[in-house]
Amino acid sequence: MLLADLPRKFSSDVGLLNISSENILKGMGMTKPDADEYLRALIEQSIEGCKLLARPCIGFTIVDNPEIDLTNRQLGLNDEVFNTGKIVTSFLKKSESIVVFACTIGHDVELLAKQQMRNNESLEGLITDLIGSELVESLVDYFHDYIESELIKSQIKVSNRFSPGYCGWPVSEQHKLFSVLAKNNCGINVTSSALMLPVKSVSGLIGLGKNIRKLDYKCQLCTSIKCTLRTNSK
Amino acid sequence: MNQEEIINKIATCVEFGKVNKAAPYPPAMKGEDGADEYTKHALEMGVKPIDILNDALISAMDRVGEKFSQKKIFVPQMLISAKAMGAAMEHLKPFFSSGEVKRKGKFIIGTVAGDLHDIGKNLVAMIVEGAGWEVIDLGVDVKSAKFIQAINDNPGAIVGLSALLTTTMESMKNIVADIKRDCPGVKLVIGGAPVSEDFKNEIGADAYSPDPQKAVVLLNSMVA
Repeated sequence: MLLADLPRKFSSDVGLLNISSENILKGMGMTKPDADEYLRALIEQSIEGCKLLARPCIGFTIVDNPEIDLTNRQLGLNDEVFNTGKIVTSFLKKSESIVVFACTIGHDVELLAKQQMRNNESLEGLITDLIGSELVESLVDYFHDYIESELIKSQIKVSNRFSPGYCGWPVSEQHKLFSVLAKNNCGINVTSSALMLPVKSVSGLIGLGKNIRKLDYKCQLCTSIKCTLRTNSK
Repeated sequence: MNQEEIINKIATCVEFGKVNKAAPYPPAMKGEDGADEYTKHALEMGVKPIDILNDALISAMDRVGEKFSQKKIFVPQMLISAKAMGAAMEHLKPFFSSGEVKRKGKFIIGTVAGDLHDIGKNLVAMIVEGAGWEVIDLGVDVKSAKFIQAINDNPGAIVGLSALLTTTMESMKNIVADIKRDCPGVKLVIGGAPVSEDFKNEIGADAYSPDPQKAVVLLNSMVA
């Protein structure tokens, strides 16, 4: 099995997580020149505060020999059949193994954001919320890069990562994904609506294989033609 | 200071986000009174609450919404303006309770089941409230039953449904169908990044709003 010597659950040093104020501004529809000194200082201060609250944790498992059914757009892992849809199934079709992962930064950043919202500090709450999202995305980036750097030594490549709720893969499949993971994976619970708690968590799949490729995400692959998040990149 | 001047002061504070004297923002107004102090002072002067609401708060938030639609300001400035408006509204609350000041109507809003994204929904809620509506915010991950309960508790309310994930558009479709079945006649407005005018037609909602300001225009037209 690939990565056999790696622990299946580990914590990351929050110092390794790389987030910038530009990304937070982007989340508010702004670029650096749009922000005044007050806002820039507030964001920098909030980033430092949130880093103190974050408790990064990553849990994963690796399933070898996945059953990939392009006709029915499904992926079989152990006893579970995932309805991953056209885009995800196609991206993973050359996988020899699949990494199933879920990671979180814990509850505390989310709780701070909620507290700020309750205290009528909507801007501070929004910034905290965006920083929480950036921190957990950065954690997944860190994990993805880590897996990639470990496997490159064995000439194994990694795919893009895919999460329930995106690229046409129904969010309801979250339950199946967690059934493949170890119980109490980083303390993440899945609600009846298939959402993860703590909210600042990300789950998903990464394909591994000698012939797999990681591509830039292409909005053109998505079927939501009129989505306002859609970009024109080819 | 006469009535017109103090109304203008309140409106300026809301438009530029000066909450109160202690607030550091905007830097150009540091140390000056804010929406909080001016509203209190206006009421003490005998300015009618309805005039403060219509001529200062709603008109200021209308300008804020327009500037946001035109991308002249961004989410942070809108939130700071909403906070300033909230500080002024605190002083008007007793007049809403007594019935002396009436709102335009009730607007129930929530992010649909399966979706936890609330930023867009919160922005719409704040701008709609600033436009003189009573907003009932059901939060995120809201199922049909909760919307229907809120509609039954608030007859005549208009409902807003928000979604960010493309995969929760199906959830929105189901909730619209459930509400239309159980509460015929209720007006439904949808919004969120993946939805569109075409999707509104497909699922049988009454209106689609691409931004908070358009939502206000739609709501106002529904009660006109």
